[in-house]
Amino acid sequence: MLEAGLGVLMIVIFFVGVWSRGEDRRRVGVIGAAGLVVLFGVAWRSEPGVALFGGSFVQDELAIFAKRLFLLATVIGVAGSLGLRAPTFARRATEYYLAILASLLGMLVLASARDLVLLFVAFELMSIPLYYLAGFLKRDEMAVEAALKFFLVGTVSSAVLVYGFSFLYGIAGTTDLRGIAAALQGGHPLMGLGMILALGGLGFKIAAFPFHMWVPDTYEAASTPFVAWLSVAPKAAGFIVIFRLYLEGVGDRAILWVPLAAGLATVTIIAGNLMAIPQQNVKRLLAYSGIAHIGYMLVGFAAVSADGVAMMLFYLVAYLFGNMGAFLVVEAVAQSEGSDSIAAYRGLAQRSPVLALSMLLFLLSLGGIPFVAGFWAKLYVFWAAAEQGLYWLVLVGAVLTVVALFYYLLVAKRMYIDAPEKSAPVVVTPFLTLSIFLCVVGVVGMGLYPKPLVMAALRAAAPLF
Amino acid sequence: MGGWPVLSVITWAPFVGAVLIMFTARHRPLLVRGIAVASTGLALLAALAIYATYDREAAGFQFYEEIPLVPPLGIKYQVGVDGMSLLMVLLTAIIIFAGSFASWTVKERSQEFYALLLVLVTGVFGVFVSLDLFILFLFYEIAVLPMYLLIGIWGSSGEIRPQGIFGWAMRRTGVGTKEYAAMKLTLYLLFGSAFILVGILALYVAGGSSSFSFLEMELADFPPGLQSWVFLAFYVGFGILAGIWPLHTWSPDGHASAPTAVSMLHAGVLMKLGAYGVVRLGMGLLSDGTQQWAWLVGSIACVNIVYGALSAMAQTDLKYVIAYSSVSHMGVVMLGAATLTENGLNGSVFQMFAHGIMTGLFFALVGLVYEKAHSREIFKMAGFGRMMPGIATAFTIGGLSSLGLPATAGFVAEFLSFLGAWQSAYPMWLFPGVLGAFLTSIYVLRVAKQIFWGPPSPDPHFHDLPDAEGPEWAALAILVFCLVLFGVVPGIALGPVDTATVPLLIRLGVLR
Repeated sequence: MLEAGLGVLMIVIFFVGVWSRGEDRRRVGVIGAAGLVVLFGVAWRSEPGVALFGGSFVQDELAIFAKRLFLLATVIGVAGSLGLRAPTFARRATEYYLAILASLLGMLVLASARDLVLLFVAFELMSIPLYYLAGFLKRDEMAVEAALKFFLVGTVSSAVLVYGFSFLYGIAGTTDLRGIAAALQGGHPLMGLGMILALGGLGFKIAAFPFHMWVPDTYEAASTPFVAWLSVAPKAAGFIVIFRLYLEGVGDRAILWVPLAAGLATVTIIAGNLMAIPQQNVKRLLAYSGIAHIGYMLVGFAAVSADGVAMMLFYLVAYLFGNMGAFLVVEAVAQSEGSDSIAAYRGLAQRSPVLALSMLLFLLSLGGIPFVAGFWAKLYVFWAAAEQGLYWLVLVGAVLTVVALFYYLLVAKRMYIDAPEKSAPVVVTPFLTLSIFLCVVGVVGMGLYPKPLVMAALRAAAPLF
Repeated sequence: MGGWPVLSVITWAPFVGAVLIMFTARHRPLLVRGIAVASTGLALLAALAIYATYDREAAGFQFYEEIPLVPPLGIKYQVGVDGMSLLMVLLTAIIIFAGSFASWTVKERSQEFYALLLVLVTGVFGVFVSLDLFILFLFYEIAVLPMYLLIGIWGSSGEIRPQGIFGWAMRRTGVGTKEYAAMKLTLYLLFGSAFILVGILALYVAGGSSSFSFLEMELADFPPGLQSWVFLAFYVGFGILAGIWPLHTWSPDGHASAPTAVSMLHAGVLMKLGAYGVVRLGMGLLSDGTQQWAWLVGSIACVNIVYGALSAMAQTDLKYVIAYSSVSHMGVVMLGAATLTENGLNGSVFQMFAHGIMTGLFFALVGLVYEKAHSREIFKMAGFGRMMPGIATAFTIGGLSSLGLPATAGFVAEFLSFLGAWQSAYPMWLFPGVLGAFLTSIYVLRVAKQIFWGPPSPDPHFHDLPDAEGPEWAALAILVFCLVLFGVVPGIALGPVDTATVPLLIRLGVLR
């Protein structure tokens, strides 16, 4: 069992951390990364198995796919964090990595949960360490402000979510998701209200417009490798909950969500892309572009079909590599230049051609250009939506991709067209190099040969319908 | 040619050249140019070979190749040429071969320049030979994206600064600079590709989500409502690339800012790619949609012809004159296609070819003049004919073809298009067309007189300029030769084109 293995890993890290002497406890991070790689290997080999606790904890194809995704994101995020230089991270490394792993544990349980109570507990187990991590640099005013904003918005959204759940339980009389899906067939109006409230709560977690306002501030203030992970793993978890709650076993009634999801997708895509244009800080730019990407994934949700879910899962993986990679390059540049502003990228192509090329690949992938992962991701969600007849949504999405390319190309222009201010190459630490390399492999590999992942995503999505 | 994957050779030879350049020719400028000329020369030879061996009796798609790529989605690498794409492949090969010579003098980062240029050409060849709409779309993107870097890095900003009441706003947004032009061009074309993607997906889903193949979609019968909006999507998407009014404004900015070879390739070939897309996908797959919207396509083409010519008259920057003349001439291409007559459609395809060669020649010449005289301002330069007789002669021949003088390729194309317009359902389209040809003669002759044939300029800066030299002659000679050859014996192009347009018109229900 992955969850048990992760628990053991956390205990090991805790004791190693407690017993280490000196100011530098970064070795726990190395242990954590190694342990995560082992767990990823276990997840790679795990097969769909039996349901536990009366069906409230399942190990189906979707759960396994999601767990692999969470573990992969965490491996990259932890490996990227090993290069963090501030002394705080060395001294308090145990706390940092334990919090990440605790949050990961929440995600793993969440992926398997098929019961409202377990779902909510796992959700909170995932979220609370995130608030703590956002404010990890506790002497930094911006970090504290960002953490507080994140915390307040997050708890309110949890409250809204639970409020919605209460309606579901009240009408269905059970906390089992299968029972709720069955009750939804009855078409009780309060059922709809509960679902909409829950979607509002989940909207905060995945940062869909208009529930997005915590994102840019939190991203800007928190440490970049953590943000890279924050921008992917918890969002993916939010989507898994959406699948479980809104699509699994719902059958034809799922058509109810089409206008809701399509509307949410439209406003999120438009708002995210437009707000990203004026940004001068790369982290804020990626934050807003991330919001837009959530919108594109919601396009897959709006298709309410197995294809739609599968293509959304594929999108999540593409987004994982592209977005985490971009954030890690931001970290590399920030370590060397001391700045997150776009101006710091002037002439990067002539200073560090490989780093600039990696960044270009990530940006092109996020922009949806052929031969890198993001292209297939966008194409597949659009295809799923087109199958459902949502051509207008595809058109909106495709046109707004052009806006996205505008601001991605602005960064590319800084790197490739502008002349550098100094000629010294950007120094990248080995661990950071490794994690950026992983992302490049992912982006290019998926771009050139997407088939195996598409097949895996289709298998994962099949049991939902 | 049996068994040889000759179309793949044409398409991928430049790409292999680009890879070789990136990996072997670092800091060896002569080797870079050698590889570029060799790979594009190979493509040109292969293109000439298929042009000669294309079976004009059998017609249809020939030199067919097919490799399944993503079987579950029905994506295949499927290539083949008919008479229309045959001519376009030949055009592309000629222009890029000449373009490799014309940019011989690029100094800064020439390795990356040639590599990107060759990748771009792979995309263009790919669009013309693809029969799988999905692969076609991929190639289309390859043809668009390198442009951003090519213009942004190696382009030139206009020397004429915006003035007047809009001057302040234009300076603020950087109008006229190469960065502005690169971004504008890229975004416009990607905006178009969004429409194309939606159209292709709609046809794919409507055809049962089993195949992207053009040949299979040709057999499908799409409902009229779908045809109507998908045709518009293709028209807008590809039309942006073809420079249809009012979505043409990227073209003058982009072409004026781009380096010589890129302008040649972009105005000469890529704009045709847009027109080709409208004819091949829009008209070839959606007969009801075509019938329904022909009036719109033709009317906008008329606006293009007159508006482009008037704009060209008003320019004082030589490159902008040529760029606006492209907008005007692309109107002739779209007008010919919209007539839905055999003559008009043949004229349209022929104009794609003729204008491609002509514009390629013009941009090569403007590049040469700029390189020698370091100016693009028409009214500063004067009397260059004495110093550079070769360039002056080539410019005059190109200009005469542009205004449609008999015995040049431009005459055949315009004559057929206008004849088609007169035979079509809207004979009044003839008048804006002829008016455009008249206006063309005004701006072309004015430029030729001012720069080349008038009295010499008093400015000592413009004395003792050299004529074209070395490899530059190769570019000029090839293009002028083609212009005259296809003007005197148009039959060598019209033969194969006719084998493509007649089946298309039969499908549209115009011919029987």
